[in-house]
Amino acid sequence: MDRPLDDLTRADTAEDFALPTDTGLIEGRVDHGAVDRSAFEWRHAPELDKHTRINLRVQEREVAAKYMSDPRKMRIYTVLTLGCFGLWLAMFPLTMFEIVPIWPCFLFATFIAAVGYIPSHEAMHRNIGRPGTKYHFWNEAVGQVATLILIFPFSMARLMHMHHHYHCNDPVMDPDYTDGASGPIMAWVKTWLNRQPGADGSIHHYKRCLERIGTPDAKVALRDTMLLQLGSMGFLFALAWSGYAFVACFLFWLPRHLGLSYIRYWLSWAPHHPRDGLERYTNTRVFKTWVGHWLSLGMQYHIVHHLYPGIPNHATKYAYLEMKPILEQRGVDCSAL
Amino acid sequence: MGALVIRKLLLWMPFLFGIGFIAPLTAQTMAYWNIDAPLGLSRIAFGLLFGGAWGLYANIRGRWI
Repeated sequence: MDRPLDDLTRADTAEDFALPTDTGLIEGRVDHGAVDRSAFEWRHAPELDKHTRINLRVQEREVAAKYMSDPRKMRIYTVLTLGCFGLWLAMFPLTMFEIVPIWPCFLFATFIAAVGYIPSHEAMHRNIGRPGTKYHFWNEAVGQVATLILIFPFSMARLMHMHHHYHCNDPVMDPDYTDGASGPIMAWVKTWLNRQPGADGSIHHYKRCLERIGTPDAKVALRDTMLLQLGSMGFLFALAWSGYAFVACFLFWLPRHLGLSYIRYWLSWAPHHPRDGLERYTNTRVFKTWVGHWLSLGMQYHIVHHLYPGIPNHATKYAYLEMKPILEQRGVDCSAL
Repeated sequence: MGALVIRKLLLWMPFLFGIGFIAPLTAQTMAYWNIDAPLGLSRIAFGLLFGGAWGLYANIRGRWI
């Protein structure tokens, strides 16, 4: 095992027993005191004695170890991501020269905009290839290209996602907290409202978080974001003024917006609603949706990801089913699935 | 200095988006549906007026709608 299993929150690092963590990846401060100041009634997991906690954690880790990512089995993420990215790029000249009609390309671009975050997410956690291994190059390559269609640079994505894990549901410190909404309809509306120029949500909120963090990595992420935004806008404007506004709209701009809304809803709002838990076993919910496992991007079992980010998305369902009795003892509401 | 220029550009991005993207998209949509611009304007002039005004509104109000 070349990586830590757990994704410990602040409380966990002080509690239970010390485990190696990925917290070194996170540059944020933890002395903000937001939790103490909160007016929310936070949900808490049941109190268990230390012996029981340790025993359950050991069992949990034994299950998790079986499902951790294997770089050789993660190659499919690399192949699909780079293949889809290449195909998306090829669609620009193919539609500009009217070799293929624009509507199937629009559907494909929307699909990769919505689903492309999944391989990028694996890359953020270095599940495709750990540093120092021959797979790491491909891990970074996948991360760099997977969310370009969203105009979302990998440096920002990784830093903000690590911050989300470490400060999950914290109103001040969790970069994704602004996705919170009272119900599903409002959550979809909020995905749009948060992207408005004057709103403090989505990438605007991320920029503010990065400025607050202020580390060299955060500055790099801010720089990358500015350059990517300007470059993407320049590309869109050039296409549009060259007579290819429909191509720019249906291959890039509209898929980006649809993809972002889909991602924000399924990957942020749905698994963390109602954002009333700050602890390891309360910050993510188990839920069942009529759209099913695939269309919800596997998010019904997102709790497993927050407990063990090294388990790839396609394996969280199976890890959850095996881990379920342990999670129930920990106080997780597993009644939905 | 470079970063400051980029920041200023990004501050005006809704307006720039209006003239950089919405304007030609409007003109090309009108051409696709064979719609003429009002007041004897060319389609791109109408697109610039429409996109520029909308972008400016978004810049000032902080939202597109």
